[in-house]
Amino acid sequence: MGDVGKIRIRLPSSIKAGDIVQARTLVIHPMERVERDAQGKLIQRNYSYIHTVIVTYLGKTIVTFETTQAVSENPFFSFSFRATDPGQLKIQFLDTTGGKYEGVVDIKFS
Amino acid sequence: MYSEAAMQDSSEPTRRTMLGALGVLGVAAMGGGLAAPRHAAAQPLGLQETGEEALRRVFGGRPMRDGAGAIKFEIPAIAENGALVQTSVTVESPMTPATYVKHVWIVADKNRIPVVFRATLTPEAGRAFVGATIRLGETGDVRAIAEQSDGTLLAVTREVKVTVGGCGG
Repeated sequence: MGDVGKIRIRLPSSIKAGDIVQARTLVIHPMERVERDAQGKLIQRNYSYIHTVIVTYLGKTIVTFETTQAVSENPFFSFSFRATDPGQLKIQFLDTTGGKYEGVVDIKFS
Repeated sequence: MYSEAAMQDSSEPTRRTMLGALGVLGVAAMGGGLAAPRHAAAQPLGLQETGEEALRRVFGGRPMRDGAGAIKFEIPAIAENGALVQTSVTVESPMTPATYVKHVWIVADKNRIPVVFRATLTPEAGRAFVGATIRLGETGDVRAIAEQSDGTLLAVTREVKVTVGGCGG
């Protein structure tokens, strides 16, 4: 579990100015699912799962995902953005335990 | 009653007592809905409900057009493992400040928590493309619903056969 919050971001190998780029990101997270006891009753507790994913590029929000427990464990998210200038692409993940995980990649043109 | 007790100690509510009272209220609110997200969202997403209830709650009976021509919804027809199903949604639409795709939802009718996610897009995305790996509890319809900036709703539905369910609970 030590890896919770580890983030990988995948981009195409070469990006040109003005391209619409498809990116994929992975976060290591248990995304705990609802548990039930022997009688089928929900067990009430604070389940740990990611509820928000925020993608920003050059400081501007591109896409946000509001997610529920119906998203898989160690989820992948994909999205696209228009690469206008070199700069930072940042992805933040927020979970229900107050965890905040951040992945950053520099967009460079080739 | 908690805040009254706190106020008797000092003549006016201090920051600390007010925070304490707020804390108690917060805990009380949390006890209410189990699956409701803990963050204060205007529109709670992950509730335990049926697919029909979810659609009624989120879209309130607004008309939905068939989006077969505009939405490319990639999802396997047979999901061997319901715990990990790759999906992506691409909407053929301009992405300009005047006309763009504002939201994309994925709703799995048979899941105990039908609303999987809601993505909010901006024109800077360049293309209305989002994807995620999702869970499917059992065989059933999965919908991809797109809302354009003028409020038009487009929907496509795919039936997905699930060999091993992935939602457990």
